[in-house]
Amino acid sequence: MKDVKFKTTSIIVIVILTFIWLLPIYAMLNTSIKSQEEVARQEFLKFPKKIQAQNFIVAFKALKRGLANSIIITIPATFFCIFLGSLAGFYLTMFDFRQSRIVFFSIVVATFLPYQIVLIPITRFLSTLNLLNSYGGLILIYVILNVPMGTLITATFFMKLPVDFQEAASIEGCTSFTFYRKILIPLSIPGLVSAAILVFVQIYNEFLLAIALTRGPKVKPVMPILAELRGSQIAQWNIQMAGALFVAFIPLAVFIVLSEFFVSGLMAGYGKE
Amino acid sequence: MKYNKKEGFFYLTPVLILVAILYGMIIWNLVASFTAWEGMKATWKFAGFQNFIHLIQLRRFWVNVKNNFIWLFVFILPTTILGYILAYLFTNLRRIEKVFRQIFLFPMALSFIVSGTLWAWMYDPSSGLINSLLRIFGINTMNFGWIANPKGAIFCMIFTAFWQYLGFTFVIYSGAIRGISFDMVEAASMDGAGHFRILFQIIFPNLGHGTLICTTMLAITTMKVFDLVWIMTQGGPGITTEVLPYLMYRLTFSQHNVGMGAAVSIVILVLSGGIVIPYSLWAIKKWVR
Repeated sequence: MKDVKFKTTSIIVIVILTFIWLLPIYAMLNTSIKSQEEVARQEFLKFPKKIQAQNFIVAFKALKRGLANSIIITIPATFFCIFLGSLAGFYLTMFDFRQSRIVFFSIVVATFLPYQIVLIPITRFLSTLNLLNSYGGLILIYVILNVPMGTLITATFFMKLPVDFQEAASIEGCTSFTFYRKILIPLSIPGLVSAAILVFVQIYNEFLLAIALTRGPKVKPVMPILAELRGSQIAQWNIQMAGALFVAFIPLAVFIVLSEFFVSGLMAGYGKE
Repeated sequence: MKYNKKEGFFYLTPVLILVAILYGMIIWNLVASFTAWEGMKATWKFAGFQNFIHLIQLRRFWVNVKNNFIWLFVFILPTTILGYILAYLFTNLRRIEKVFRQIFLFPMALSFIVSGTLWAWMYDPSSGLINSLLRIFGINTMNFGWIANPKGAIFCMIFTAFWQYLGFTFVIYSGAIRGISFDMVEAASMDGAGHFRILFQIIFPNLGHGTLICTTMLAITTMKVFDLVWIMTQGGPGITTEVLPYLMYRLTFSQHNVGMGAAVSIVILVLSGGIVIPYSLWAIKKWVR
């Protein structure tokens, strides 16, 4: 009896929260397809009479270069983070290495420290290498900052494999690289996907370095461009919402399609198994 | 039988080099904070603690520190507690948990720039959604101003971050709750313990690691919150919503006072080191046995 009452209360609380959580997204979608006059009327919950695709065209024109830049930067950076991270994760979990405690500690600390504390040296570092305002420079920096995360998550997934696998392979005379390439990687694909999603979303959504290390539209990623769009379209909420949706599309699509991986990546990166 | 470590050292070397560069940069920054460096060109003129002394004399710095602490407390507590309660509510509703998990978790996939744009509009004093929604219920908040209100703006921003991170604490806690044995809970419930007691006196003490993860990660998020300030208020009204990361950026890139910027980032380093290092000492137990 008590349980039924508890269940009903839980469901009511959950439904109310769900409403609060989805309302902004609904309003965002709805506003992004309205005309300026309809937005001014402030009837946020009402559907528009006619869908204004025009908003998205305006937003697309402003954001397309930034979006291309973001993709050009994010994909190779994610790849290197996961590739190099998985090599290190392999070494740290499957080799007998006495200093692994210190190495792990410095990697965990590096994963979570805020970027501000290295922002000034990063600009000096890139200008010394002559890589300021270039794809290569941003990719390099994103790899440096996210490879610790890639290492931690892949290491967590590697640890879940039975030790027998590695022992058997080793006895059969399988070299470590063959083991890595033919057994470890194919068996860990779900873990690698989780790690890749987390790193990808993090780099794609990053703002501080994107704005500090680029000048002009040539290599500027999409987040600073969205911020600029917001500055240039003041009170044009329909355009702003269309732009924001447009930018959010990739991470949201990745999240919706691969949410299981996203959650298991979160658990591996932060949670304890 | 593990592989020979010499044979495989090349696996670790690339990451080791990259992490070494990162730590090198932190040390570099520490050195820079003791120089009187202004303008674009590096000037390695040592000035001792001068930057830090200037900093603590700045009223703006203390406003920023206060705001960082407001973020720390007002953001972490509700997000952790509600995430936990939500995870508990779903213990009896496992079948629908997956669907609802998506709803609470998806904002995490958004950039602060996207959610900031969205919520800046929600809070807009003249044409925002929240005002017009409250008007339907007959509540007139036109004069409150939300993010234009010097006292309320920071809390509006914290609510945005709360909206974004509730899913995170929920997922971490629901994983943690799954790991504990429910015998105690059933026994307590037999003895007539209410849900409140079960929630906070029986389950919660057993979720220490979940709480540690949530509070640490949220705390470190408050040290990073720069994007949200940039996009929603630019630190305004006045400097009432400025936080240390924002001050650091302003000093370095707008005023080109690199020495002072480096000094602020050392303050950030000390604060976030105090958060991250204890966590890391605990977390390495997961990987190194």
